[in-house]
Amino acid sequence: MAASRGLTGLWRTCVTLRRPPFCVPAAVRTQSSVSGDLLPRTSLSRPPWADEPSPVGLEEEQQRHAAVVSAVNQRIQNRDFGRLFAVVHFAGRQWKVTNEDLILIENHIDAECGDRIRVEKVLLVGAEDFTLVGRPLLGRELARVEATVIEKTESWPKVHMRFWKRHRYQRKRMIVQPQTVLRINSIDLAPNLS
Amino acid sequence: MVFLTLPLWIRNRGPDRFWKVQDLLKHARHFRGRKNRCYSLAVRAVRRAFVYATKSRKLKKRNMRTLWISRIAAATREHGMKYPALIHNLTKSSVQLNRRVISDLAITEPRTFQSLAKIAKARQQEGFRAALGDGKEPPGVLSRIVMLQ
Repeated sequence: MAASRGLTGLWRTCVTLRRPPFCVPAAVRTQSSVSGDLLPRTSLSRPPWADEPSPVGLEEEQQRHAAVVSAVNQRIQNRDFGRLFAVVHFAGRQWKVTNEDLILIENHIDAECGDRIRVEKVLLVGAEDFTLVGRPLLGRELARVEATVIEKTESWPKVHMRFWKRHRYQRKRMIVQPQTVLRINSIDLAPNLS
Repeated sequence: MVFLTLPLWIRNRGPDRFWKVQDLLKHARHFRGRKNRCYSLAVRAVRRAFVYATKSRKLKKRNMRTLWISRIAAATREHGMKYPALIHNLTKSSVQLNRRVISDLAITEPRTFQSLAKIAKARQQEGFRAALGDGKEPPGVLSRIVMLQ
């Protein structure tokens, strides 16, 4: 699970390698008879964005990671975040959800109206200052998303029509699909982040 | 044909032609020209409309996906990466967000999208190090193999 800090400026948590210019084939190893640049430097030999490698060693990078993780941990423990949003996998689709959201699901769910449901597959949880990205899912003890089934209806009758010209073939069929409306009641984070 | 009385000689058609015609014309009321009033023209126009609606339900899914992809590509280029690199490295880091959600995050949650771009960039650098180096560097944080359920 990767925790990354969304605040702009200060720290870059990824280390960029001082890599040779464009299109170094993988078969070329570091020992070769041509030293220095393998290709002539042209306008296309470097990417157009500024690519300065940050001279940060491994230990400092690990310290920065640990600092970020502890800062995020503290925030979670003090419950310092405002409104949380979560990306949730439900009914074969992924939804980006917050509190008091309504979701329309185009199929039938085995729960009665008014039942409280816990949505378990949480892929990402975010607040204003930090995001928790699951790989691929976040732990069950970490994030908790609760929803209520509000309404179970059917969709409006959609027309499915097939027609082949000059063949006297046409078929018309009405398709009505069951729908469920869920209201997301709460998204919660638990204060144990490793 | 045997008709015993004059009233029976007169043809008696069905009683609800009016409502059947109105049932079809109601689907054509927003069309342009005589197709919204005249039954024969409306039949053809409504049939075409229904067939187009059925076919475009499949096209809509394709179009939405290309829209999401172009939005994600534009957003990743703001962060100094390209779309194929982002998607490939996110899947290699076993982040299984789909394109719809990533494009929504790029629009409404720019910091979260930046963090995803950083994850992909770090994984890309680890991949480059593994490919170009001699394999003696320790494997990075993001490229360890995670067993997916």
